[in-house]
Formats: sequence, structure tokens, C-alpha cells
Amino acid sequence: MTAELPVRYYRPKPEFKLDIADIQNFVYDMSRCIKCKGCTWVDHTYMPGARFMTRCPSATKYEFDAYGAYGKMRIGHAMAEGLLEWNEKAVEIVYACTLCGACDVGCKRNLDLEIELALESLRVKAVQDGVGPMPAHKQIAQNIAQYHNSFGADPTKRHAWMPSGITPAQKADVLYFAGCSASYVNPEIARSTVKILNAAGIQFMLLAEEWCCGNILFSVGLLDQARELARRNLEEVRKTGAKALLVSCAEGYRMWKVDVPKLLDMATDDLGFKVVHLVELVDEAVKNGDLTFKKPLNTRLAYHDACSLGRLSDPWTPYEGKRGWMGCVEPRLKRRRGAHGLYAQPRDILRAIPGVDLVEMPRTRENAFCCGAGRGTQEAFPEFASWAAAHRMEEVTEIGAETLVSACPWCKSNFARAIKAGGDAVVVQDISEVICAALEA
Amino acid sequence: MSISKEVYKIFESVVGSSYVSDDPVICEGYRSGPGGYENGLGYERVMTRVPGCVIMPRTTEEVSRIVKVCYRYDIPYVPYSTGFYGPRSHPHVEDALLIDLKRMNDFVLDEKHFYVEVGPGMIYSPIQEECMRHGAYVVIGGGGAQASAIANLIGDGWSPLSHRIGLPHRRILGTELVLPDGEILRLGSLATGDDPFWGECPGPDLRGLLRGYTGLRGCLGIVTRMAIKTLPFQPERLEPTGISPDTALALPENRIKWINFTVPSKEAQVKAMREIGHAEIGGAVTKVPLFWRAIAKAECKEDFWDIWGKENEESVANFFIVRVLLIGYTSEEQMAYDERVLMDIMTELGGVARRTKPSDESWIKNADSAGMWLMCGGYVSVDYVIETLTQSPVHGPSYAELKKKYTPPLMPDYGDPGWFQSFELGHQGYSEFLIYWDQDDDTHPVDQFYVDTSKMNIKNRYYTSLLGPHQPLYLTGPKYGPNYHQFLLKVKDEFDPKWRSHPPVPLAHDVFVNRAPWMHDMKDWDSPKDLPK
Repeated sequence: MTAELPVRYYRPKPEFKLDIADIQNFVYDMSRCIKCKGCTWVDHTYMPGARFMTRCPSATKYEFDAYGAYGKMRIGHAMAEGLLEWNEKAVEIVYACTLCGACDVGCKRNLDLEIELALESLRVKAVQDGVGPMPAHKQIAQNIAQYHNSFGADPTKRHAWMPSGITPAQKADVLYFAGCSASYVNPEIARSTVKILNAAGIQFMLLAEEWCCGNILFSVGLLDQARELARRNLEEVRKTGAKALLVSCAEGYRMWKVDVPKLLDMATDDLGFKVVHLVELVDEAVKNGDLTFKKPLNTRLAYHDACSLGRLSDPWTPYEGKRGWMGCVEPRLKRRRGAHGLYAQPRDILRAIPGVDLVEMPRTRENAFCCGAGRGTQEAFPEFASWAAAHRMEEVTEIGAETLVSACPWCKSNFARAIKAGGDAVVVQDISEVICAALEA
Repeated sequence: MSISKEVYKIFESVVGSSYVSDDPVICEGYRSGPGGYENGLGYERVMTRVPGCVIMPRTTEEVSRIVKVCYRYDIPYVPYSTGFYGPRSHPHVEDALLIDLKRMNDFVLDEKHFYVEVGPGMIYSPIQEECMRHGAYVVIGGGGAQASAIANLIGDGWSPLSHRIGLPHRRILGTELVLPDGEILRLGSLATGDDPFWGECPGPDLRGLLRGYTGLRGCLGIVTRMAIKTLPFQPERLEPTGISPDTALALPENRIKWINFTVPSKEAQVKAMREIGHAEIGGAVTKVPLFWRAIAKAECKEDFWDIWGKENEESVANFFIVRVLLIGYTSEEQMAYDERVLMDIMTELGGVARRTKPSDESWIKNADSAGMWLMCGGYVSVDYVIETLTQSPVHGPSYAELKKKYTPPLMPDYGDPGWFQSFELGHQGYSEFLIYWDQDDDTHPVDQFYVDTSKMNIKNRYYTSLLGPHQPLYLTGPKYGPNYHQFLLKVKDEFDPKWRSHPPVPLAHDVFVNRAPWMHDMKDWDSPKDLPK
């Protein structure tokens, strides 16, 4: 007698696309997870010691295997097989995750598996199956549909952050896309950004009607709305003739550079313009001598690598192919392993500022521990987001930093909340503010 | 029987409601396969089950209480540190309780007395980092930097660094475990106090019971605390460099470096290892399979097959490499002396030093076992053999020869004889044979090969360490010991008369052979009719 379980080896189909609209495209990836937890542990070469061993917020906080990518791969595989049903716990597991990419980069250190795409696809499946997204995300989707921003704020006031004395050009090579957060919640970031452009002598324009980039819509699996928004946004940007789309938000950076092309089945290179984060622009300007830091900022400073600026920001190329023996694919696929994140630029900028004592946290670059706020997590799981930020703040305290800097408004806001709650004597700033202050702009 | 509401409430009272769950989605997250070590095979399909409930204790006392509840209510349970070891460390029966030990990750380092004290949730790489900061080091077992140190040490626990630092039995100090019925047992100096500095006494050394039983499969209880001996290391920092996937430790070559040598023959390899051991130099000495070099060079799976496809039986048969790690434990001068001795040995043997990267990607802090899957879906080390240094290199080719019958579905390796090296400065030799397969192929021959290796070992009188739960006990037992199986089963009956700790281990492979129709033709030995069904 055999006690072999039915349909246990659900075979992946040989033809596949890197298309998250269909979970069957990722059955191979989910079925090959070896449970090494490279998705969770800091890269062993960089392991800092018995504290700060992990880089997956979900696995670290919730601790059951199901919350780590290794558990989600098994859950996803069983769902793709039709052997596991959604329940409340499954929806929570799929959405209590910042999609920070630590798992993807960790896995791809050794293997050729598309973990991030499988997780994105699970969310799409949750929406397709009518169980997702979370209620908070549905509210955001409504806000975007009605007000073209994730906060439900007055769309006519989107550019109200513009400081006096600076006028955007009617036409310029650089289009500054401020994003919802900098427009409504963190206007100091948008203001600092345009002051920096002004100081560097760089003309910029704005979209007449800037709408949400769609980051949260896409991230929670609302693919249709996200795609429609991406189409509209891309058309509007192309109409301006901009050569570069400048952002000061890491989430916006990733969305424009990676996920808009992904949604529209095109390559990053085919957008028709370059997507540039402020740190790239400033780094180049400093190295060229176009910007000089005059004012010292005497502070011991830690830099937090925003996930979307780092491990999630490798450019996108669509792929369709066939998988054969031993999983080898044809045509050859150059995998996005998170090796091209913007790690050096912000550090070079900060080191160039007189008086700044830049110290590294135990987990940096591709090993950075996500702040916990991004991609819809803060809205749906505020307690988880607070926990993640507080956990990251332990590293800041460990190294005795007085100032914490990041390059994303979501990180800044979440850390600010954590600092306030924890009573830490740490100042949190966006890098645009630090640059602006050092320029005396 | 499934876990009742009443028992579930008791578990909640032990650990709190946040740390126990019988939700089917939570439990599915603990499924063994389909990917992973030894997964994608019949053993996994036939023998493993999703747990009926998962619990995460924090302390030894909680573990003890949980196990007592299991014993009282006849609930089978399986301890689980990281789950990396594949199907054999996952439940084999329905409605088992999986005891996830990841929260037990306490860590204490005693710098003065050179040991660390860990819980089962503690993995190797943070231990190594802490040790190196304090002038010490441990062996990171071949299972990988992500393996639970306790689980690895009570099972295997060796690596190329075992050339000097020895096998785990020398390094396990005071140990605490929860017996299958929930009683707490403390071994070594922990038996008489709270200082874990020594592993032996009082009475017979019970650590052998754990390791000889390949205890990590948990069938004699759950180890909840262990002190591990560390050894002095050189003082200079090994700086991590690079961005993933290209990360490595930069080696300060005045105090530590790898040197790769090619030597003219296998005999020269063995002689080199023996001479290096006798000279008492080197921190690691090893020969690795040629396809690991292809893995190291490949940027992706397809790359690997491009590189590997250029090899053939001749290139593999003529590949004789010896990798040596020199460590200046006491000084630069000591390392310089060791290097001169090494070069003398190699010159005499016709060895030629090759260009070697001044970095370590594996074995000091990151034993890259996860990378070994790059080219396939399924992998297992089908045997670990500890023999004399002369005998261990003979073992590999015998596997390679047998493997031809089962290729495909096994990966073509052109007769590569696997990994062998010196242990304990040449006192022992070690041989490990690795096999790979695509789990989407018909993998029944892989299951058959596994048992066929046992028959080959018996015929050739090779001693291997996977006699117990990895092979049918009624096949191997009568041939080793003799009647080693009777001893194992008596021990099991003594400590776990109800067989609640990870049933049906140590008879799991016997049960598998009985259950799987494709294994029936392999069975030419006797076993009792009352084996668990």
C-alpha cells in the first residue's frame, strides 16, 4: 500500500512569463524553495552577530514560518494547486508584509527563484479570488479614484507645497514628480528638493495634474486600477517631453522605474525618459562641482537604506520563455538580484557634508531592515509598521546616532512616529532636508 | 487522533495564545517540500505530513511541559529548529505537534573559558561572528551557516575546518535536553551545577547516545541548551565585502589565507592530507567535487550547465585539487612557518599552487550549502563516511560507479567521486557523496539508489554514519554492530516507550520501503510484520 498524498507534485508548466497576473507562472519558484531562510537571515557573510540577525520584518515579528517567504512559498504553492483555501489568516499572512525585497535578494544570492514576484502574484490572486486587499487598501483605492491621491486630500492643493521664490519652468528636461506623500504629508521634502534644483541651476517642470503613481494600488494586487493609472501617468509624462523624471520618494522611484514598466509589459529602457532619484542627481552634481556644501552639520548620522531605492530598484525587462530540464530557462534570463541599488550615492553625499560623522548600522544596503511602512503596510497594519520602525531604531541607538536619515517620506514618517512613541532623542530627516541645509539653499 | 480543544487550551496556557496555532494555513507553512534538502523524492511524498498544530516555546521548562502534555495525551511531536534538514525533520504522522524552537535563540559567550552557550534556535553565522570578535572560532557545519548549531552538532557538524578543530563529539560541552516523556536531563557539568564547561560525566557519556542516534531527528528528545567549545583564532578582522550575490570575507593574508593546489594524483591528494596533518599545520584541508567550482563560477543555473557541459570523464578523473586554509593562530611568523612547511610538502608531492582569491565565500562564516542547489531542484548528500584517510577516497568512486545505473534521473557528473578530506589532523578521513536531480523527473530511481548504496556499503564493508534513520534499519542493523538495530530499538523503547517523539523514526525508512511500491523490488531483507503502517 502506498500512502502517497494526492497531487503533491504539482508540476509547473514549461512555458511561463514573469507576469504576476497569473500565479501559475510562479509555481516553479514556489516549489523550489529550499527553506534555507536566506530570505530571512542577514547575508551570512555580513551577519552582524547575535543581535540583528534577520532582515525580514514579517518573519521576525510574527515568527511562525508561514509569515516568512519560505512559508508563503509553500502556502502559495498549495493554493496554486487548489489544495488550500483562503481564510482570514491567509489574507493576513499575505498582506502583513512590506514586500521589501529582502527575501528576493536573499534567495537570489544563491538561487534563481523569483520570490518577490511570487509574493506580488499572491496578492493579485487574493484580489482575483475576492478576499483582498485589506479594507484600508480599498479606502486608498477609493481615494485615488476620487481624488487622485492616496490620502483623499484636495487635489487642487497638490502643488501647494511650492515655496515662494521658485517657479517651475513651462518646459524643461527634468520633470519633478513630487508624489502624494511629499505633496500632502511631508511638504518639506518637496520644498527641499526644488530648492536643491534651484541651487544647482537645474530647471524643472511639474505635471499640470499630478496623480498618484499607483504604488499602493499595484502593491496590494489591484492590478487593473494600477495599470489604468500607469497608462495615464505615462502618457502625461511623455507629453511633456521630459528627458528625466525626478523623484524624491523611494516608493515612487521603484514604481516608476520598475512597476510601471511591469504593469505595461514594457522595459524600463522603453519608458522614453530616465527615472532619477534626487540622490543620483545630487551625487553627480557634487562630484561635478555644481553643488558645494557650505554649512557644516555637526552630527553623528546614520543612513537608512530605503528598500525601494536599494534592493527593489533594478530596472525591469519583460520576460517570456520556456523552462526545461533542471529548471533551465530559454531564452537566457538575466535575473534582477538587487545588485544595482542606490547605496553609494546617498553615502557619498553625506560624507561630503562637513561635520557629518556617518556611521553604519549593523544591517545596511541589501541587508537593511525595512522601516515597516511601505507599499500599503502602514495603513493596513499600523502596529506592525510601528514595531518594525521601533526595531530598526534599536540599531540607531546601538551605534549612538543622533540623526537618522532616509530617502523616502514613508520611512521618515514612520521613524518619526517611532521616535515619538519611544521618546528617543534622535532627529529623523529626509536626505533632501539634510542636503538643503548643508547648501544653505 | 487530532489535537482536541482541551489539549489546545493547555498548550495555550503553556506558551500563550500567540505562540500556538492549528490554523491550516499556518500549518501549511511548515510543509516539508516540495523543494529543499532531500525533497522532491518519494520519501518526502510518502512519509511527510503537514503538522496538525504548531507551538513555539521559549524556555526549557515550556518544552518540558509541552512534551509532558503530548505524552499524557498520546500526541506525536517533532522538534524543529530551522526545518532545513528536509523531510526527515518534519512530521511523519497525521496530527503531529510541530515544536518550533526558533524562539529559543539565547546566546552567551564565555571569552575566558572558550565556549558559547546556545539554544536550538541559534544558527551558526551569528555565533561565528561573535566568536571571531572575541578571538575564537567554531566549525560551521556543512549543513550551512543557516543551520541550527545544536541540531547540526547532534547530527553531523563537520566541515573542512574539522581538519584541525575536530568532530563535534569533542566540542559538545554541558547539554540539557528534554526526554521523550518530558523529563529534563542535564549532561556533563550541568548535571551538578549551572556551569556547562564540560560535557562528560557523571557516569557513561550520554552525548554519544545523542550523536550515535543521529539525534537531530529528535527521536530521543529535544536538546534545549548546549555549550559548545570554541578554539582560539587569529586576531585580525575578516571584513565582509561586496553586494549580494557577490559577497565574501576579505582575508588578511598575513594571518589567514586559502591556497589551492593541483596535485598529480589521488594518491598525492591523500598523502598531502596526511603529511599536512602530521605536520600539524593548516586550519582546513579538503578536496571538493569539481562541479562545486562550476557552481562558484556560474552566475546563474544556465551558466552552470554551460560550464559543466565542457567537462567529461577524463577531465573529472584528472582533477586533483587540495585546498588548504592556513591560519596564523599565534602570529604572522607561525603562519609563515606553516606556509613553508606546506610548500615543502607540496613540492615533494608535485603539487602546484594555483591562483587563489584572497577571500572566503565558504567555510569560515558562510558555509554555502544553499548555493549547492543552483543547478537543480533536488539534492542530498547520500552518505557521510568517516574512515581512515586511506579508505575514505576509495568510497567515493564506488558510489560514482553505482550511480551510473541511476543516471538519469541523477545529474550527470562524469564519475565525480565527491568530497573527501582529512579530519583531526589526518587521524580520520571523511568522504561525502552528493547527488542531484530534477524533482519534476521520475525520481523513483533516486529512492532506489539511496537504498542500493546501503547494500553496496554492506558488501564492501564500509562504515557510514547514516545507518540509522536514513536507511532501512532492518537492512543495515543486522550487518553493523552486529545487530546494531536491536541496540537502537532497545534504547528507543527505554527512553520513549510510547514512541511519541517523532514516530516512526528510527524505523521511518523501513516504513517507507514497505509503503512505496517502487521500492518493493529493492527489499531483500527481513523485517518484522508489525512495522508501523
